[in-house]
Amino acid sequence: MSNSVLSAQLHHLEKGTSLTQDAFARLRKNKMAMTGFFILLFIIAISLLTPWIAPYSYEEQNLDLGASPPSAAHWLGTDILGRDQLTRIMYGSRISLMVGFIATAVALTIGVLWGAIAGFVGGHVDAVMMRIVDALYALPFTIFIILLTVIFGSSMLLLFLAIGAVEWLTMARIVRGQVLTIKRQEFVEAAVSMGLSPWRIISRHLIPNVIGTVIIYTTLTIPSVILLESFLSFLGLGIQPPASSWGSLISGGVETMEEYPWLLLFPGLVLTITLFSLNFLGDGLRDALDPRASKD
Amino acid sequence: MLSFIVKRLLQALPVLLLVITVTFFMVHSAPGGPFDKDRAVPAEVLKKLNAQYHLDDPLWKQYLDYLGNLLQGDLGPSFKYPTHSVNDLLAAGLPATLELSFYAVVFALVVGLAAGIVASLKPNSAQDYISMSSAMIGICMPTFVLGPILLLVFGIWLGWLPVAGWGQFPGDKILPSVTLGFAYAAYIARISRGSMIEVMAQDYIRTARAKGLSSTRIIFVHALRGGITPVVSFLGPAIAGLLAGSFVVESIFQVPGLGRFYVTAAFNRDYTMILGFTIFFAALIIIFNLLADIVLVWLNPKMRQELRGSN
Amino acid sequence: MTSEKLLSVENLRVLFNTRNGQTVAVENLSFSLEAGKVLGIVGESGSGKSVACYALMGLIPSPPGKIESGRALFHGKDLLTASEAELRHLRGNKIAMIFQDPMTCLNPYMRIADQLIEVLSHHKKMSKKEARAKAIASLIEVGIKDAETRINEYPHQFSGGMRQRVMIAMALLAEPEILIADEPTTALDVTVQAQILALIKGLQKSHNLAVIFITHDLGVAAQMADDIIVMEKGKLVEQGTTETIFKLPTQEYTKALLRAVLTTAKPVASAAKLNEPSLLQVKNIQVGYAMPTGLLLNRKKQFARGVDNVSINIQRGEILGLVGESGSGKSTLGRSIIRLVDAQSGEVLFNGKNLLELSASNLKETRRSIQMIFQDPYASLNPRMTVFDTLAEPLLVHGIATKNTVLDCVNELMDDVGLDRRFIRKYPHEFSGGQRQRIAIARAIALKPQLIVADEPVSALDVTIRAQILALLLKLTQKHNLTMLFISHDMSVVRYLCDRVVVMQKGKLVEEGVTEQLFSAPQQEYTKQLLAAIPTL
Repeated sequence: MSNSVLSAQLHHLEKGTSLTQDAFARLRKNKMAMTGFFILLFIIAISLLTPWIAPYSYEEQNLDLGASPPSAAHWLGTDILGRDQLTRIMYGSRISLMVGFIATAVALTIGVLWGAIAGFVGGHVDAVMMRIVDALYALPFTIFIILLTVIFGSSMLLLFLAIGAVEWLTMARIVRGQVLTIKRQEFVEAAVSMGLSPWRIISRHLIPNVIGTVIIYTTLTIPSVILLESFLSFLGLGIQPPASSWGSLISGGVETMEEYPWLLLFPGLVLTITLFSLNFLGDGLRDALDPRASKD
Repeated sequence: MLSFIVKRLLQALPVLLLVITVTFFMVHSAPGGPFDKDRAVPAEVLKKLNAQYHLDDPLWKQYLDYLGNLLQGDLGPSFKYPTHSVNDLLAAGLPATLELSFYAVVFALVVGLAAGIVASLKPNSAQDYISMSSAMIGICMPTFVLGPILLLVFGIWLGWLPVAGWGQFPGDKILPSVTLGFAYAAYIARISRGSMIEVMAQDYIRTARAKGLSSTRIIFVHALRGGITPVVSFLGPAIAGLLAGSFVVESIFQVPGLGRFYVTAAFNRDYTMILGFTIFFAALIIIFNLLADIVLVWLNPKMRQELRGSN
Repeated sequence: MTSEKLLSVENLRVLFNTRNGQTVAVENLSFSLEAGKVLGIVGESGSGKSVACYALMGLIPSPPGKIESGRALFHGKDLLTASEAELRHLRGNKIAMIFQDPMTCLNPYMRIADQLIEVLSHHKKMSKKEARAKAIASLIEVGIKDAETRINEYPHQFSGGMRQRVMIAMALLAEPEILIADEPTTALDVTVQAQILALIKGLQKSHNLAVIFITHDLGVAAQMADDIIVMEKGKLVEQGTTETIFKLPTQEYTKALLRAVLTTAKPVASAAKLNEPSLLQVKNIQVGYAMPTGLLLNRKKQFARGVDNVSINIQRGEILGLVGESGSGKSTLGRSIIRLVDAQSGEVLFNGKNLLELSASNLKETRRSIQMIFQDPYASLNPRMTVFDTLAEPLLVHGIATKNTVLDCVNELMDDVGLDRRFIRKYPHEFSGGQRQRIAIARAIALKPQLIVADEPVSALDVTIRAQILALLLKLTQKHNLTMLFISHDMSVVRYLCDRVVVMQKGKLVEEGVTEQLFSAPQQEYTKQLLAAIPTL
């Protein structure tokens, strides 16, 4: 309905508040979620700007210094080879976040398409597609991933695909559930009885009402993915040195935690805070987009 | 009930077969054999070893041989430790892993349910925020961060608990179990809070209140039966993660379980070990999922009756 | 018999703090209840009738709700300031309550026996054996056959009406003095409602109970209550004996409520063109639907007869009423006509063409001519589209309007259904139920269809709004020469609107005839039952 003549004619009329606007208003009131959001923005900003703002270079070693606790020169201390921890954590953020977002994107694409098709087409197609999901769900994926990374070496690509392959299942189930719920609503029946084409029904009626759920679960999948990647890196299976994600930094920190606790605590803290922010934001989105609330 | 169990077990067999097959071919398709990594082995000896273990047979034959042995319960010898069979090694590490997992689950259930129920009684109150914030920590702090931190604080700085060992020092089972169970306690707390709030808003709880029953009775006799369902649904698949998590905990706290064996086996291309462990874990996961499903059915009167065939 | 005031409510004020601000749910309410008498509280949604009674029992959820002020004296004790322990002693024991939806009001995880016994073991400290015997006796009293065995069953094994009987038995177990009944029959079928009302009336007399009967249905109130209070938006509007309220109402709102209770025949003559060939001819239609019985083992699909060999005709200009209770198949029939549901066999001839055999592309053309109005005004509009979008969509898709003319068309539709033109950029959730239904009606007539299938379009609306919407439908059918298939469970609504009526039961057609003739001289037993079940003033 976006046509300049039309818009001009409608312009003088009082605009209503859409559900999305309602949701954002609710979200803005949620302090924890907004805190998480801003922390996340901060971390993303830092990781994007790292090559320019990192205090030291990534590999720069200072063997004379060795491991040293936080100081004016090195805010978060140094590791055994005298490398600045702050810099390493900043570079680590780039990797962890990148894996998080890309693997989630993989999971999102497969999961949403799968779930949407199963839910919309229904019938036998749905039954078969979900059976496959159920069967795959039962597999010990974490174990498979460990195997994969050991056997084929840990390339970034493999990591993305492997992690994405685990996470898409949950997304598919959720999307399918939501599609089924919306499909049963009477306004979809009304659209059908009006003779609208399937494409129009999907794009105008189904998708806008499913998107909310997708956004929520995407936000909740990212921390799950980052956690999985960190776990693999911790076991030595993920990102290989010299590149290091938070997981491998933590792994190194554990080895020397008695003597140099800061090598464990800082990366651990940063990882935890990032996950906190993502989860709070996801929770906040879920509360804000809760359809029940809109009936008030 | 019995036919339900049998039916589910039968459905699980193809999945198990799939796991075995996929794992087998994955492992064998990796470059390098199990003996390549050792200090330079003379070519002849290498050939002999490969022949001894049938590693030069066509792949499909190795596969079928493996299946055959499997049916007899024989998981084969470990390549890394040829004097021991995989079965032996499994038996050696299994008790510790099982015990650790058991304690972790008990901890998770008790603490998680308590926290969740307490939070659900007064939503958006202090007890709710405290409970759920603690739960959030459990979800956001990975086991491999929490474990070392707990070790650092309680084992090294305060010196209250032993830093390693399993069954050798008093209290040495506490930290590993708590570390492993903490994340699950967090999930259970959140899930049970949500479901208890939902259940307490149900009409039949209002009826119970209108009957003048005490709060304790309402929560534990009326609400809990419905509220616990999502927790059981969660626990079934969670076992897979629990096993994976136990690897980390075992290495941090030096617990003599299966975890350490598994990772080293992967690094060493110890085919039989990898296969044996993977199959074992997969079977465990399937059994636990089945158990969880059985409990779910048992909790629901409608489904329970269907199974008994009565109506 | 002393007509002592058993319960005396004075100046009750209840507030609710929602995310949209504070609302006054009950304002300055005062009434009294005498022993052995029935007090009816009548009001529409938002009147505060339920909230007031929940406040008496202390059942209002405390964070959003708050009892600001007032007193409620029961045997000299103020319920509103009583401690939780004191209230718990009274609940289920001296003051009992039954609720609207028997499906959700019993704990699905506990056996009936346990739910009944716990009342007695808690309040009367009875032994399990004694309590069980008393519970069985109570079930027999409310009309549950084979009570001895059925008491061990679970709620899902009982039908709706049976469950409500169980609720009633449970409420009366401890021999309370007051029974509060919150819309106990609203969720039940008409014939079942009649039985339950009779049951409650009988028990009230035999146990000499004082009853507070909450309802939105004036007819039900007339049948059950000795005295009535009428509430609107939290305030008491009028009170008096049943007779004075119905014969000599003084307040405007009460009069509006009474007017909205339809007891009259259709006010205008039928516009049916009887001499033309039928617009719609349904012949021997069979619709079965798959019911997955067995949640776990037998995932076979059983075919239940949704519609069993039904034939009906509709003439152009006619309004045909399709009446039945739940499970009658009336909705399924309506949906199968516009092919939202597939029929297994039979024909649906529309202007001579069989709709069931049309290809997808031809169906689209035909769909223009048959439109549907749904029951739930909340669910039948896409929450993410503005009113303008919703109304413009069919016009643009079917080429009735271009981008230049669509705004005028939409404005005309808004006028037609009595909505302010200025609201077209608003979203569905910003409107009330009645307004949403007007939007749905506007959408249905936008394509100028030849036939409209209306599936219980007023069932979810308040009584006064219902009257407005029905008047609107009548006006529109006349103005646009519409033909309508009007599906409803409510006989009095059907009588007001429809020229002819078809009665269905369990998928089969039971009787049909011209409305007034059917009402004055029903032939079939079931039709007689339906008509007898209508609560009369």
